[in-house]
Amino acid sequence: MIPVELGTEKIGKLLKQYATPAIIAMLATSLYNMVDSIFIGQGVGPMAISGLAVTFPLMNISIAFGTLVGVGAATLISILLGQKDYKMANRVLGNVVILNLVISFVVTALSLIFMDPILYFFGASENTISYAREYMVVIMWGNVISHLYHGLNGVVRSSGRPRLAMMATILAVVLNVILDPIFIFVFKMGIRGAAIATILAQVIALVWITKILCDRDNVLHFSREVFEFDFKIAWRSLSIGMSPFLMNIASCFVVILINNQLKRYGGDLAIGAYGIANRLCFLFFTITMGLTQGMQPIVGYNYGARNWSRVKEVVRLTIFCSVAALSLAFVVGMVMPDLAVSLFTRDAGLRAISARAFRISVSMFPVVGFQAVVTNFFQCIGRVGKAIFLSLSRQLLFLIPFLLTFPSFWGTDGVWFSMPASDLVSSLVALALFLPLMREFDRLGKEPVSQVTQ
Amino acid sequence: MDGKILITVGRQIGSGGLQVARKVADHFGIELYDKNLLMITARESGIAQEFFAMQDERPSALGRFARFLGIGGPVYADSGEYSDVGNLSGDNLFSLQSKVINRIADNGSGVFVGRCADYVLRDRPELFSVFITANEEYRIGKVMERENLTKEEARRFIESSERKRAAYYNYYTFKKWGDSSSYNLCLDSSLFGIESAASLIADLYEKFRR
Repeated sequence: MIPVELGTEKIGKLLKQYATPAIIAMLATSLYNMVDSIFIGQGVGPMAISGLAVTFPLMNISIAFGTLVGVGAATLISILLGQKDYKMANRVLGNVVILNLVISFVVTALSLIFMDPILYFFGASENTISYAREYMVVIMWGNVISHLYHGLNGVVRSSGRPRLAMMATILAVVLNVILDPIFIFVFKMGIRGAAIATILAQVIALVWITKILCDRDNVLHFSREVFEFDFKIAWRSLSIGMSPFLMNIASCFVVILINNQLKRYGGDLAIGAYGIANRLCFLFFTITMGLTQGMQPIVGYNYGARNWSRVKEVVRLTIFCSVAALSLAFVVGMVMPDLAVSLFTRDAGLRAISARAFRISVSMFPVVGFQAVVTNFFQCIGRVGKAIFLSLSRQLLFLIPFLLTFPSFWGTDGVWFSMPASDLVSSLVALALFLPLMREFDRLGKEPVSQVTQ
Repeated sequence: MDGKILITVGRQIGSGGLQVARKVADHFGIELYDKNLLMITARESGIAQEFFAMQDERPSALGRFARFLGIGGPVYADSGEYSDVGNLSGDNLFSLQSKVINRIADNGSGVFVGRCADYVLRDRPELFSVFITANEEYRIGKVMERENLTKEEARRFIESSERKRAAYYNYYTFKKWGDSSSYNLCLDSSLFGIESAASLIADLYEKFRR
């Protein structure tokens, strides 16, 4: 039932085998988020970048509503397919479509009606609101497309065809890269052009996914009878999706807090700089996320088999790779931050602030490489409470108090400093939890090997 | 009796369902599968038994929450064919356990207690699913004796254990735990005792297969 190689093959080879597809998929997702920023920065200007950064929380809230449906449904479908309950799985598929249509319609209506107040609340100013509005109105009209695309892509992924789902993501990225310059430079549509390109790319990717899901040879496929609203399915999808939804909303509020502190202490350009630095940090961080996903099966299997020395070896190697990857971000940030941010803008003023923001943001990245792996490791071995605490500590628990206090001492720099400060404190906490665990493994390793079965 | 015998027994806490199931298994001379399913699944999957025990007939909301924080589970990308390997989420443990139940049913007969076996085996023509109930007094008495609790403690024990058991069943099966429409037969063991309940089930099973 299980490939034995997990317990015998060289750890390095296993990690490479399991982590590589995950890293590629994660990088595709993160590039997807960067493309618009790059073209808008290069083609429209520094204020447009700030306007775009202001829209991130609203975009994320919209995505959060998408995952509210998508994650729950994908989980249900994967359980049902495991039980070969194809009829019910297909009904979940139909209900994904119905729920996505209803929710995205409500989100679109509300955000279009209250667009300006929302954007001001998220950190927009008189200078940036027009860019933010222009971009967001198009994105919101295309909201139904985005929700369906993300939702159905998740369904395809969980139905045992992850490669197909990844290809759809890559297709959308590539199309966006092709269409962005056409709409911005050829049609001279400015920031609105970038939004149209994004939606258009999603339309094409969605058509492709829909075509796959119409194929009757597929276990999961559309038919008339699946489009029947089922309250039980809907409620269950939503209740499973609720925790990721709340988590997304919480992280949106952190971004809103950051934007508002930056607006107060630094102005519009600082918000744009945050947008740029954040995109760059995330690009490097995806490598770590891919690594931890690759580590998971190897740790899980060997922990289950009570092979403590191999468990230790996996986690050590993953930490090493992750620290190396994020140290690369550190080196780029220290040596040539200006070159990195010049990908997004040619404006000297914005470049200077972004370079500083990026440099400070990554100043603790090597230890973040450690913290992220340890957080994941706790989850892998079933110590869920600690994993949740560690995960929240870096992005929420420690970050918020720093964000609230630091700027009053150091202004804009205070906002940037909050991030490495939170990184450092949460990494120390991770270390404090990790060391006893390692000692526990050493002790267990010395005991005579007990049988897995009683 | 000739041919394959598949009987699943759901039960309220303290209803004596396990004893009934054991008697039925003895009657036909076939295996009984209850908690030992965990051990078998652990052995076959290489995942430690503690993990199965931790999530046995209990939903793990915390685990699911952690998964969606992006820790310890493929959220954005799925590593595809490896996704059920070494994955300690409750959903995956359930799926591994279901595979074991199906394999046992492929190879022969068995009486299965709990673990949503009635749902896992739902498409098999040999399946007969039973749910054992008992009145409250009877169950409280049993639990007081078994767990060494006071009356009030036993009442609370039953309430919280059954809430978890129902949540687990409803989550995985799309049916309602303990609802008569979820089973072929519902039986109150406090009315006529373990022995008669078991022989009644065995008797009905033979009639059903004839």
